[in-house]
Formats: sequence, C-alpha cells, structure tokens
Amino acid sequence: MPVRPKRGLMMPLSMSENLARLAAKIDWSRSDGEEDGDEAAPSSAEGDGDADSQVTTFQQPTWPWESVRNKIRDAYTEVCVLSDVLSIARHKRYMVLDGVTQDAPEPKQIIQVISKKKGLAAAAQILSEGAERMRENLAEQRRNRNNNDFYTELLRLRQKWRLRKVGNNIIGDLSYKQVGSRFWLSGTFEVKKAEENAPALPPPAPGLPPVPPSPIIVTVPSELQGAAFIYVTIRKDQETLCSARLTHPGSTPLPVPQSQHWSDRLDAAQNVLFCKELIAQLAREAVQLQPRLPHMVIGNEITSTIFPGIHLVMGLAHSARPERRPAAAPLPPVPAGPLGDNNYVLEHSLHQLLRHMHHRNMHHAMPHPASAPMGMSKRRRQAGPGAASRGQLLKMVESETLLESIIRQARHVVLRMRTAFAIDSCAREIKDPLIVTHWNSVNSPTQSCCKVNIMTHGYDSVHRTTFLINVLEDSLRCVCRDGRVMTVSYETSELHYIILCQVSQHNLLAAQSLGRIMGWTVKSSSSGQGGGGGGGSDASQTAQSGGGGAASSSCVLSAPGGHCYVAVRCQPHGEPVTVSVAQSPKRDFFPTALVTEHKWEHLGGAFRQIKWEKMEGRNFLNKMELLMANLSSGTGSIM
Amino acid sequence: MIIMGFSTLQTFPLIEGLTGPQTLDVLHKRITALGARVSGQFVVDCETYFSAPSLLPGNSQRVLNVLHNTEEPASVFAILEGGAKQPVLVADTLLDALLPKMAVLYTSNKKQTRIESKGNRYEMGDFVVKLGSVTMSGSFKGILVEVCYLACVVPALCWEMVWEFMQSFLGSTVPSTLPPYIQSRQNATFSPTDTIQMYLEKFNEFRKQTVAR
Amino acid sequence: MCAAISAQEKLQAAMQHKIVPNQEYLLQGSVLDSSKDVLIHRLRGLADNVDEQVETFQDRERVLTLGPVSGQTLTLYVRQAMDVRPGMDQSDTPWTMRYIGQPELGDKSRPTVLRNSIDVGCTPNVLEFLSEMGFKQDYEFMCKGLMFRKGRMKILVYKVYKNKTADNWEPLSMSHVVELSVLAPQGHDAVAEDVRNFAEQLKPLVQLEKTDYRRL
Repeated sequence: MPVRPKRGLMMPLSMSENLARLAAKIDWSRSDGEEDGDEAAPSSAEGDGDADSQVTTFQQPTWPWESVRNKIRDAYTEVCVLSDVLSIARHKRYMVLDGVTQDAPEPKQIIQVISKKKGLAAAAQILSEGAERMRENLAEQRRNRNNNDFYTELLRLRQKWRLRKVGNNIIGDLSYKQVGSRFWLSGTFEVKKAEENAPALPPPAPGLPPVPPSPIIVTVPSELQGAAFIYVTIRKDQETLCSARLTHPGSTPLPVPQSQHWSDRLDAAQNVLFCKELIAQLAREAVQLQPRLPHMVIGNEITSTIFPGIHLVMGLAHSARPERRPAAAPLPPVPAGPLGDNNYVLEHSLHQLLRHMHHRNMHHAMPHPASAPMGMSKRRRQAGPGAASRGQLLKMVESETLLESIIRQARHVVLRMRTAFAIDSCAREIKDPLIVTHWNSVNSPTQSCCKVNIMTHGYDSVHRTTFLINVLEDSLRCVCRDGRVMTVSYETSELHYIILCQVSQHNLLAAQSLGRIMGWTVKSSSSGQGGGGGGGSDASQTAQSGGGGAASSSCVLSAPGGHCYVAVRCQPHGEPVTVSVAQSPKRDFFPTALVTEHKWEHLGGAFRQIKWEKMEGRNFLNKMELLMANLSSGTGSIM
Repeated sequence: MIIMGFSTLQTFPLIEGLTGPQTLDVLHKRITALGARVSGQFVVDCETYFSAPSLLPGNSQRVLNVLHNTEEPASVFAILEGGAKQPVLVADTLLDALLPKMAVLYTSNKKQTRIESKGNRYEMGDFVVKLGSVTMSGSFKGILVEVCYLACVVPALCWEMVWEFMQSFLGSTVPSTLPPYIQSRQNATFSPTDTIQMYLEKFNEFRKQTVAR
Repeated sequence: MCAAISAQEKLQAAMQHKIVPNQEYLLQGSVLDSSKDVLIHRLRGLADNVDEQVETFQDRERVLTLGPVSGQTLTLYVRQAMDVRPGMDQSDTPWTMRYIGQPELGDKSRPTVLRNSIDVGCTPNVLEFLSEMGFKQDYEFMCKGLMFRKGRMKILVYKVYKNKTADNWEPLSMSHVVELSVLAPQGHDAVAEDVRNFAEQLKPLVQLEKTDYRRL
C-alpha cells in the first residue's frame, strides 16, 4: 500500500491534509478502486452480480467481508492514532502543534517598508507640487493685483453694479429703474479698459504710497458728473430757521475728482441722479398742486410758503466737474447755518419719500383669484362688487404727493421750534411757579408731544399743574388735567396765553391746597371770572361778582376760627397776584340782645389789599403760608 | 369710514297745469329755499334683457335688468326677474362688456327698454336729495325723488324723520309708509342694492303705465 | 362727476378707444413636479419683487355654459379664491366670472396666442345668479400654485386638482401648468414680443408654446 509509508512521512507535515486524505479513504466504494487496484476489484465486486463473485472466488476465497473488515480496522487504527495525536497535542505536554512556516517574514517587512517609503515620497511630491502651484498662483494673483488686472476689477464692478454687454462695449446702469423709478434720465455709464502704463497718480497725501491707476475707466454721462445735493431750508425773511442737506449717506457734497476710484465716482453719479429725480418730482408736484399760495419754481429751486412769512426752500445744488467746465456755476450758495445743525428728520424723510414712491411703483397687490387682471389695488378690486360709493372711490385715488408731505413735515418742524421757544420764553419770564417741560423723545415726523409741569419751588407736593401739548402740523392741541382740550393755532401768542392761564390757575389752586393743609377753609373759589378794574379794598367783591372780560380767577379762604378771610385773585395777564384780607372787628364776643351769636361778629370787615411785593417770603406760596400762619395764630394783625 | 345711509324713493305727480320740467323747477326752488345746494348730477339707468324663448325648460322666461347708479360708479347691478328668486348680482363695470357676448341668449331692444332717471343731486347737511326726471326710450315719463339720509343705515330708526323732511318740500304726496321693498327689511342694514331694487320697482311701474296706455 | 354720462356709455366709449384691456396674450407649458423647483428658482430671479415672498394662490374654478340657442353657447369661468392669506378674509376677495373668447393662434410670426378675455369681479352669489339665468355647470377644478410678476406680465405656475368626492381633491397629473400672460387693450401687439422674450429666458426649464385647443 503506497499510502501508508506516505502517511508516516506526511503526518508531521500537514495534519489537515492528512486528515482530509484519511477521510477520503473511508469512502471505499470509489476511492479504493482508484488507489488500490488489488482491493478495488473485490470491493466493487461484492455489490454487483456474478462477474464480481467470480473474481472474488479465485483471489480471496476465505471471507467475502475480509477486505471490508480490514478497511474498517485500518480506518479505526488511523482514527485512534489521530485521536491520540489530537489528545497529546491538546495537552501540549509532549507535543505542540505549530503552523508550518512557509516564508521567512524578515524579507517581507523590508519590502513593506520600502513600498511605504515610496508611497510617502510620491504623496509628498504631489503635495509639494500642489503647494508650489498654489504658491505660483498666489504670486501670480499678487502680480495681477499689482498690475491691476482689468478682469478682476471688472468682476468687482460687476458685483456692485448692473453691467451689460452691448456689442464690444460694456454698459452699466446706475439708475433706479430696477426698483421702480420712472425718471427719464437714463443713468447708463460706460466701462472701458484703461491704457497700459498710465502714469501713477501722485500720492493723495505725502507719506502714503502712490495710488496705482485703476485698470477700469468709467465714463459717466456729463449730466451726472460732479456732485449734487439737495438743500432744504426753512427761512423767515433772510434768517434760516432750519436746514437739511440731502446727499447719499456717507458721501460728501464735495465734487469728486475725475481721478477717484470708480466706486466713488459711480456712487456720486448715482447720488446726482437721485437728487435730480427728487427735485424733478418735487417741481412737477409744485406745478401741479394748486394751493392758495402757489409754489414757486425757479430753476432748480422750489419755494413754498408754509406759514405767513415763513418759506420752505428746496433746491438742487449740482456742480459739474470743475476741470472740464471751469466757467460753470460754482457750488451754489450753501444755505446759511452750519451743516452741524442738519435736520436729520427732514433729510431722512426726503430720502424715504422718494424711495417709498419707487416702492409703490413696483409693488402692486397680486390678483386673487389668480385669473383676475393685475394692477389694481385690493380695495379697488373690492369696489365694484362691494358697490363702493363715489366718496370711497375718490378716497382710493387720492394719494399724497411728496411735496405735500414734505411741507407738512416742514410745518411741524417750524411749529415745534416755535412751541419750544414760546414755552421757554414763558419759563424765563415767569419766575415764581416753575415751568418745567418734558419733550417726548419718541415722535413722528408730523406729531410730537410735550408735557408741561407747573409747580412752586419748595411746595412741589402741595400742588402741581400738568398739561400736555400735542404739536401737530399747523396747530397745537393742549390737553389739561381736567380733560379740557384746547386747539391753538400756529400763533404762539395763543400758547403764551394758555400758559399764563395755567400759571394763574396753578397759583390759585396751590393757595387753596396750602390753606387746607393749614386748616383754613375754602369759602369760595371760582375760575374764569371776569376781572374788571379790581384792586383796592373791593378786590374780592369784584372777583366774586363775575362779569365779562378776561378770565381771572379768585378764591376766598377763611381762618380756622373764622375771624378773618383772605381773598386771592389771580389774573392771567401776567399781572401780579392780589391778596386781600378782611378781619372781624373784635376777637372776643359778648352776646347782646342784638347779636346773639359769635358768627355774626364775623360779618363785618372790609377787604384790604396787602402790598404783596412787600411781603416777606421767597415766592407766592411762601408768602401765603406766612400770611396765613400769621393770621391764624391770632396775635398778628397786619393792618 | 363708509357712508351709505338710508334712501327712500317715491314718485312725484306732476303739478296741475305744469309740465315735467316746470314741476321739477318748482321742486328745485322749494328745496334750494330750504338751504340745499346742487352738487352735480346723477343718473340711474336700467337696461333690460329677455332670455331667448328656448333657453329655459318649460318655456319660462327670465328678465335680466342691468342697472347703473352714478352714486356707485364702479359697480353694475344685475337683477334677474321671472324665477322663484330675484337674485341681485353686483359686479365690476366690465359686466357691460360681457353682456354683448350673450346677445343671442339674452336679447334686448335698447331703444325701447332703456329707462333712466336723471337730474340734479342736492346736498343739505346729512341729506342728499335727487330729483330725477324719468325718461323711457327718450320720452318723459314722470318724476322720481330719492331722499338719502347719510347718518343712519337702519330704515326703521330714521324713517319718521326722513318722512318729515320730505314733507317739507314734497308736501302731502309723501306716503306715510316705507316703500314696499323696504317694509319687509326695515330693521336690517340698508345697502346700495336696496336703493337699486327700489328704482327697479319704480321703473317697472312706469313701464306698466306705458303698457296700460 | 359733473357731467352725468351713463356708465355704459363711458364703457362703450372706452372700448371704442381701445383702452379697456381685454386682449390676453398667452403662452402655456408644463413642467414635471420634480423639476418645478428649478423653474421656481429661475422665476424668482427673473421676476419683479424678488425681495418679497412668492405669492401663492389657490382658486376654485367652475365652468358653466348657457345654451345652446340657435347654435350659440356661452361659457363662463367662475373663480373663487380659496386661500386664506394673513390679514385677509376670504369674503374680502370678490369672485370673478370670466369670458374667454376664441383663441387666435395666427401664423408662426405671431409670438403668442391672442384671446379675448373679460374678467368681471362680482359678489359671491354669482353661481346662484347664473344658474337662475339658465347656466349649467360643466366641470370644476382647483388650481394651486405660485404667481410672479414681471412688468405687465403675469406668470402662473400651478397644479390642477380635480375633485373626486365633495371635498376631496386629487391632483390631475404629475406636472404643473406654467402660464405666461399679459392683458392689454386691443392693438398692443408689442407686448407679445415681451412675452416671447421672457419665455425664451425660461428655456430649457420649460417650453412655453402656443397651445392649440382645437387639437387637444
């Protein structure tokens, strides 16, 4: 059997191989026939017919299952050997199974290291090449920047402005048409490449590096060159009350030199366009509107009367480029008054109003349902089916013009200034009750509010008179504590009068509260009484008797014991307060048949006026306090 | 703010011995004497369309009245008569452009059916008075007086005052009750379509008179 | 309002002077739902009012016909805005009834379809009114989509839904209708060029064409 000696050799070599071979041998039906010719014949014969039995008879006559048993025994032996080997190997005491070393690992590691090295080297090369390329790019870019590359600059221009290619030219658009403007001026500009090696400009200031020439030449139409601003002034005769100057935010109203960078030049040109559109719109409205006092439009200046004697002047100042047209009009007269007191509200409003108009031009409500025609407002769409009346339809058509709204705002500005001035001069004039004003910081362009507090120094808690002044466009509305609302025209004298009234009322009410605190009783009080000649001993009687004339107010206070009276009369003409005192003739009372009770004694006594200015005391209430204290103590008799 | 108010409409018979324009002149004098002033003119017109005979099942006919009122210049009122209901459609003025498109389906004889009330519009405080001379296919038919009180929209609340005001220049011709169309809805809010309905009512009366003659 | 001219006369005068915009210049096309967003993106860039939110709409349209009487029928398209937008009551938007005339395709030189269109805003009882007049409802559908504006041009991108049961709407197809239209008075054929130019700018996202209804 060739297998067995081979097995003995192979065993230590490859266990798995051997096992596989052994397992194959157990399947004798076929494998024996292939490997072992002698044994194959009987094994194949025993299952088959007569031919097989003939073979077995002359070869192995002993026992037909001999070969089978031998095979099984062999197999058993092999399995036993295998199990022994396995058990020995498992205990690892006598024998250790070890993988058959096929190749030496040492040379393989070296190869790996080499290949890794190579790979790293290749990667490093790629990286360094890329870095080199980037460095080159960067350097090129830097060089390009230094060379002011036309295309990079064009790209930058394109990011800020609308450009279009027409033939071989590049045309830009700086008009506001895209956002809804309908101004006729086209506002296009041309972009060209600058000539090479143009001379570098001289440095704008010594010490700075010279400005390289821009690679782009921007040509702005001549009517948009130079600088422009719109000035708004409110004038009384020749005196400027208020002024505003309208330019692009952040730009100066000075002419931009030709040499300046394109972005500045385009900004300036756009500003010129904006100013021109604004003044054109205002002028058109000024001609169309028909107020009682017509607006005047002369050249680029619009004058309208906002209050008698007060004019609103709006004009366009446009200076063309000085180098081209040296003879052109120089910068128009800058309105008097430093730019410092620029009225930002007016400036902002003008800006906003035109933008608002642009916005209105662009933004229409979309139709619903979607099939309906466009261009109608939502309310107009509802008008037909909603059977809107003529009045409603007219109201829809009405819209305020720029000029009207700017006039309204200008009026308000003037009125606010006047009101503040009137209150301040009152406060200066009237020393005794203090007049304190508080202007609300939050207001609209056509409405602001001011609170006026009147109080007496040192007696703040005794009484305080407050009223509100709403400054509107051409009238004031005063709201008093008691709910009275007075509408006053733009004439400040009316406001002055209201303040005087409030002051006199304050004095009277304060005297009453002071009297109450001191235990005196208010016998009578009336405001808005006629005040005729007055004065002298009959002051209070005149005050009480009423009658026409200017509103003066008066009150009578009686001392705790009732033995004396004080009459106070305040006149709202800025005249001093008159105070009179009446005393009972006698302090002690002895009942007689005629006069049965003490109170009848109090009847008498004529009022006698006190020389108030000679009284001791810091202010009116202080004097009143001293007077009342003196009278109620009973000892004093000032007469 | 929407000012609609409440309107009432009545015919004014011709004064004995006077023509239509003369009667209107008398009314004009009376009302201006009261302090009213003319504030333009007004027109309420009505065009009538009849459905084609075979259009509706059972040979029933619908009458489409299209009315305009200068008081609501953006609207066209369409009132359909002849059916169980009498719906009113209020639409844009473009409805007039649509009607010729259905000329075969709804036909109209413009010369004969067009009826309008046209005249002066007067204002006096919260009152608006319209003195209209009614013409049908060009010939004078009578006088319609519309009185509108702007300060109230519920007919029942102001009818008596309006009635008194009307008596001051229309005399005893003023009926003491509300117009029939308003009677059933005197506590509801008055709307411009109600005015139009009243005009249609009166126009139909004028038309019947013509037929009677 | 001094001279009291009747409204009808005024309208007739206006029609004669050709100032009533009743001619619709129209191009139509469609995009698959999947590519709709690309088109919307492009339209947002091209249309006016890019600073605003894109306006959406949802309308229900009923198609009613009257007749025939001696061979003539009249079809009206009654539309109702169904969407509830902020600050707006549904009753605020009037219903519209629309007459659409026979579309004129013209030859190749004409850039758009031209059709007569009269759009009348009216009160919501229009359905009741029309049915009293003898109109019968043909069919109805819902369209839901976005609208854009470019000058006088209106661009609608919407999806059509048909109703299965009473309030159950389901999409009719897997695509959106794109409609480009201008309403102008008679004889303003120059606007048709604008429509064509705009349609060119939308290529190849959507192919807007003159739709021949007779071949559909």
